[in-house]
Amino acid sequence: MKAPDFSYYEAKSLSDAIKFKSQDDEAVILAGGQSLLPALNMRLSSPSCLIDISKLKDLSEIKLDDNSIYIGALATHNQVMDNSIIKENFPSLIEILKMVAHPAIRNKGTHGGSIAYGDPAAELPAFAVANNAKFILSGLNGNRTVEANDFYLGLFETDIQPDEILVGINYPLLKSNEKIVFEEVCRRHGDYAMAGLIAKVQINQSVIENIILVFFATGDRPNLTFNTSELVVKNGYDYSSLKKSLSSEIDFAGDLNSSPPMKLHLATILIGKILKKLEN
Amino acid sequence: MSIKNSANISLSVNGESFDNVTVPTRQHLADFLRSQGLTGTHLGCEQGACGACTIEMDGKAVRSCLILASQANGSLITTVEGFDDEVMEKVKINFLKHNAFQCGFCSPGMLMTTKEIISSKKKLSRDEIRSEISGNYCRCTGYQSIVDAIEESINEIN
Amino acid sequence: MDDMKVNQNPKLGSIDRPNSYIGRSLPRENAKKHLDGGGQFVDDLVLPRMLHVAFLRSPFAHAEIKSINVDEAKKSSGVFDVYTAKEIDEFCKPWVGTLGHLGEMRSPEQTPLAKKTARWQGEPIAVVIANNRAQAEDALELIEVDWVEKDAQVDMETALDENAVIIHPELGNNLFWTRTVNQGDVVKAFEESHEVVETTLDFARHTGVTLESRGIVADWNKAETKMTIYHNGQAPHMMQHIIAKHLDVNEGLVRIVSRDVGGSFGIKVHVYPDEMAVAAISKKLGRPIKFIADRLESFTTDIHARCHKISGKLGVDKEGKILAMEINDLSGIGPFSMYPRTSAIETNQVLNLSGAPYIIPNYKAVGTVVFQNKTPMCQYRAVGHPIAVAITEALIDKAATKIGLTLDKIRKINFIPDNAYPNKCPSGVPLEDLSHQASMDKLLGMMNIAEIEKQKEDDLAKGVLTGYGVIAMCEVTNPSPLFYGVGGAHISSQDGASIRLEGSGAIHLSSSITEQGQGTEAIMKQIAADQLGVSMDTVRVTLGDTDATPYGGGTWASRGAGIGGEAVLKAARTLKNNILDIAAAIMQTNKDTLDIENNVVIRKNGEEGISLQKLAETVYYRGHEIPKGTNPELLATASFLIEGIPFVFTNSAMGCHVSIDQDTGIVKINKFWAVEDCGTQINPKLVEEQIKGGVVQGIGGALFEECVYDDQGNMQNATMADYLVPMAYEMPDIIVDHVTTNSGRSIIGAKGAGEAGTGGAPAVIMNAINNALGKVGSEVTSQPITPEKILKSLNKI
Repeated sequence: MKAPDFSYYEAKSLSDAIKFKSQDDEAVILAGGQSLLPALNMRLSSPSCLIDISKLKDLSEIKLDDNSIYIGALATHNQVMDNSIIKENFPSLIEILKMVAHPAIRNKGTHGGSIAYGDPAAELPAFAVANNAKFILSGLNGNRTVEANDFYLGLFETDIQPDEILVGINYPLLKSNEKIVFEEVCRRHGDYAMAGLIAKVQINQSVIENIILVFFATGDRPNLTFNTSELVVKNGYDYSSLKKSLSSEIDFAGDLNSSPPMKLHLATILIGKILKKLEN
Repeated sequence: MSIKNSANISLSVNGESFDNVTVPTRQHLADFLRSQGLTGTHLGCEQGACGACTIEMDGKAVRSCLILASQANGSLITTVEGFDDEVMEKVKINFLKHNAFQCGFCSPGMLMTTKEIISSKKKLSRDEIRSEISGNYCRCTGYQSIVDAIEESINEIN
Repeated sequence: MDDMKVNQNPKLGSIDRPNSYIGRSLPRENAKKHLDGGGQFVDDLVLPRMLHVAFLRSPFAHAEIKSINVDEAKKSSGVFDVYTAKEIDEFCKPWVGTLGHLGEMRSPEQTPLAKKTARWQGEPIAVVIANNRAQAEDALELIEVDWVEKDAQVDMETALDENAVIIHPELGNNLFWTRTVNQGDVVKAFEESHEVVETTLDFARHTGVTLESRGIVADWNKAETKMTIYHNGQAPHMMQHIIAKHLDVNEGLVRIVSRDVGGSFGIKVHVYPDEMAVAAISKKLGRPIKFIADRLESFTTDIHARCHKISGKLGVDKEGKILAMEINDLSGIGPFSMYPRTSAIETNQVLNLSGAPYIIPNYKAVGTVVFQNKTPMCQYRAVGHPIAVAITEALIDKAATKIGLTLDKIRKINFIPDNAYPNKCPSGVPLEDLSHQASMDKLLGMMNIAEIEKQKEDDLAKGVLTGYGVIAMCEVTNPSPLFYGVGGAHISSQDGASIRLEGSGAIHLSSSITEQGQGTEAIMKQIAADQLGVSMDTVRVTLGDTDATPYGGGTWASRGAGIGGEAVLKAARTLKNNILDIAAAIMQTNKDTLDIENNVVIRKNGEEGISLQKLAETVYYRGHEIPKGTNPELLATASFLIEGIPFVFTNSAMGCHVSIDQDTGIVKINKFWAVEDCGTQINPKLVEEQIKGGVVQGIGGALFEECVYDDQGNMQNATMADYLVPMAYEMPDIIVDHVTTNSGRSIIGAKGAGEAGTGGAPAVIMNAINNALGKVGSEVTSQPITPEKILKSLNKI
C-alpha cells in the first residue's frame, strides 16, 4: 500500500496555491491529509502533484464577530475543540467533534478539509447545512460565498470549481432561543455513523417553533428535510408518520453496516432521541 | 519554481538532527523513520485506522502513515525510541506491571496515545480512558490491562 | 513477591523457597524492549542486497488467465525482474493440503502462483521484484493480463448442487471432505425423548487481523547452499521441512528464524503460496528477498475461518437429562485445502467437541466441507470451538426453557461429574482431569444470578431488554501425535529443552516452543529458574531458531506451557542433579545433603557450599581439581510429548450479561465472567491475559467481524476501516477466576489456556442475547449478531 508517484509543492501563499491548482487539473490540495493520504496509500487516487497548504497559518484563524463565528479552513479539529470562542459560543460543535475519528486524526484533520471533502457519512457537512453556514471559496477571480445547502451536489461532488480553494466557513451565531442537538448511531466509537442527525431548534418556552433536521450517513450528501421538520413541529414524535415522511424525502443509500430500511428506521428514532435530549 | 519527485528535508527526531535528507515525495513519515533505523514505529494498515504508527510531531500525537516525510520539514519528532522522560518511564513501569502488552506491536502507538492522555492532566474514568484509546487497535490483550496501566499512571502522575 | 497471585502445584516444591517462581504473576522483564521500540519484527530486518516484492493478484474470484504480458512492467523504474508461474515453478514444487488420517480428502495440487486459472480473489499470479515496495507496486500496474472471467461458486449451500460451478473439474464436484460420527442410536433416543429441541445457526467467515501482517525474508546463500528464512511464523521446524521439501534443499541446511511476532493466533502457522514464491525467488537469485503483506492483501489472503451453517437437535427426558444430540454441519473453505494442516480440521473439531462437557449417550454428527472461490480457510484461534460450543449451548438453553429448568441446573445435571474421569466426549474423544461442576459453581458464585434475574424484570418494565447466559466448554490443548503426525504431516508433537550452566554462572535455556507475545520466554524462564534454584535474571532464553533450539513443534493448539514447559522442567531437574553430583564430589559430601538456592549450592542445614559460578569455573577451567570419575556434565536436554490420547483438555465456564437497545439494535456487554481450569498456571497473570484477550477476540466474532462478499466473490470490506475488529470502547472488563485440576500427564501439570476465551465467548454472548430477546418472543441465530439482525428479529425493519 505504497502511494503512486507524485510531486509535492509547498504553497507559499493562498494565491500561490490557487495559481498552481488552476494550472494543473490533476493537482490536489493537501490540507490535513487524513482523507487524502489513505486514498493515495490505497492507490485510489493518482494526482500529478500535491499542493501543500497546511502551513499557511492565516488560514486557520478562528474569529468571532457580531453575528457570526468564522472558522478558517485549516483549523484542525482539535484546534477547534480547544478554542475559547468555540467553547463559549458553539459548544455543540465540540460535542460533535468528539465523535469524529480519534484524537491523533483530529490533530491533523482540518475543519475545511472535512467540509470540502463532503463525505456523506461525516458530521461537519451536515452541521454546516443545519446552521445555514456560508462557505468562502477563493479562486483566480477572487472570493465567492456559497451557502452550505447549495454546496453539496452529489456523492463526493461539491460546488468547488477547479481553481478554487475553500478558505473559511462562517457560522451564524446562535440566537438566545436557538439550540443545536445531535445524535448518531455507530458500531464503534469514532466510526462513521450508520445514521446521524443534527438539528437546529428554535424553542419558545419549551415549545419547538422551528426545527431544521439534517441527516447524515443516510444518502449521497447531507439530507435536509422539510416536510418531516414541519411534522415534528406540528405533532412532536410519532414513529409511523415521521418514518413515512422520511421515506418520501430521503433517498436512503445502504452501506456495509446498514441497509436502506435500517437507515430509515434509525433516522426516525434519531428524531425521537434528539427530542428527548431537548426535553432534558 | 521547480517541483521534483523528491524533496530535501531537515528535521529533529528524538533530539537527533537530520539535515538535508533527500526523500521521495510519496514516502510517508513512518517509512522515512523506519528507513533511518527507527523501527519502533510500526505499520499496521497505512490507512490511519489502527494507530500502530502514532508518533509525536511538534507536540501532538499524529498518524505517521498519513503524513508525508516532505511535510515534516522543520518539525520536532518524538518516536517511541525517545519516550524516556520521567513521566513515560513511570508509564512503562505500569505497562510492564499490568502486562499491558503481549506481542508489543501496538505498544509504540499505544504509548504515544497514553502520553497525550497524561499530558492533558485530566483525571479520566475507565470509560473515558477506553474512549481515548479507541483508535489504537490491539488484538492480543483485549484492552483491559492497558486501561489498568493507564488508570494507574493517571493516578500516580496527575 | 507477597502480593502476587500464586497458584501452587505441590509436585513442584514449596512456595516458600527463595526461587519459587512457578505459579507467580511475575512481570515479563524480557519483553520490556517492546516499550522502548526495541522489538525485532520481520519488516525491521534489512539485509545487504535485499530486494522487495509485490504480487499481482487476481481481482476475480474465478477467471481464466489467457496471457500475462510483463514486458512493460520489467522496464519500470527500480524493477529487477517480473516472474509468473513459469519462473517460480522451476524452483518450487507444488503441494497438496491433505492428510491421511481423516478419511478421504480431495484437494488438487497447488503452486505458489496460479498458472492458467485464478480461483480466488487475491490469488497471486505474478510477482515483481524491485528495489523497494513502492516501485514494485508501480510495476504491478503495468502488467497486462488477458482475463476471461468465469462464474464463481461463492455460496457454500449450493456448492454441491447439480448446477454448481465445479471449481476443479477433475474432482467432479466441490466436495473436499466429509465425516460422520455415530455413537449409539440417535433415532431411537429422539423417539424416547420427552422433549426435542432444534435450531440452525450460521457463522460468518472472518479472519485473524494480526496487527503485524504476514512477512518473510528469504535468504539463499549460494556459497553455503544454505537457506535462511526470517519468518513471523509459529512453527519453524515445520517450515524447515516444507522449504527443504518443496525447494529441493538439504533440510539440515535450512534455517528458520522467528524473532518477534506481532500476534499470530494461528494465522501464521500455515503455508502461504506468496511466501513460498519468495523463497523460490531467493533460491533463483541468490539474494535476500523480502515480502510483507500489506493490510489490503492481508484481508484477502490471510486464511479465513469459521464459515459454518450448523443444524442441531437435542432430546431430553422428563428430568432434563440429555438422551441424544445430533448435528449437521456445512462449512465452505476456499478452492484449495490449506497446507499442511488441511482445511478439514475446523469441521473435525466441531464434530469432535460438540456436547463435550456432557453425558450424551447417543450422538450423531455429520460434517461436510466444500470448496468455494473465496480466500482459503484454515485453523484460527480456538479452531471449531466457537461453533461446537454455540450449537451445544444454544440447544441446552432451548431445552431448559422447554422443560422448565434454570440454565445452570440443566447443565449441572448433565455434566460429566468431576470425579468420573477418565471419560469420553459424546464423540468418543478421551477426556481427563476436568472440573465442569466445580467451575460452574464458581462461576455462579461470581455472577449472582438471582440478582440478574430480578434486574431483568425491572429492566423489562422500563423497556430495556437485558439477558444473561452461562456456558460450559472444553478446550483442546497439548495435542499428541494423533493430531497431525499420524496423518503424515511433518509436524512435531515432541518438544525439547536444552539447558546449560556457563562459565560465568549464567544459565542458557533453549526451547523448541516459540513466542508470539503470550509469554513463552517468561514462563520458560520461571520454570527453569524455579527448578534449578537460581534467580530469574540468571537465565537467558533462545527461541525461534532452528539452528539454535531443540527440534520441536512450535506454538499452536495451546501446547507451549504443557508440553514445552514440561521439557524445560525435566531438563532443569537433570541439570540440577548433574550440578549436585559435581558439588558433592567437590565438597566431598553426600549429594542428598545438598540443594541449590539463589545460585549457590548449599548444604540443607543452611551452610553455604559453592556458588554455581565457582563450580562452573572449576569444571570448565580447572577440571583437574575435580575428583576422577565424576564426569561433570553441565548441559542437559529433555523432551516431552503427550502419549496415548489425542489432546489434553481444559474446561471453562463462562457467563455474560447483555443489554439490547431496542431502537438501535446495539448490544452492550455489561459484564463478562470466565472460570478457567487449565491445571497449573505457571504465571497466573499471563493466563488471565490469555483469557481476556481471547474473550475479546470471541466478542469480535460474535458481534462485529465478518468477511463480506458480493455474489461475484469479491470481498467488500477488505480494509481496516470497513472490517470491524473490536476496539477498546465497546469491550467490557472481564472477571477471571480459576479452578485447578492439574493434568496427570506431566509433572508440571499445566494444560493450555490460549484459546478458551475465543472458543466460549461467541456461545455465551449469543445465549445471553437470546435470553433477552426471548422475553419479547424473538431470537437471533446468525453471527455476527449485528444491530441489523437484532432489529430484524424485533420486527423493527
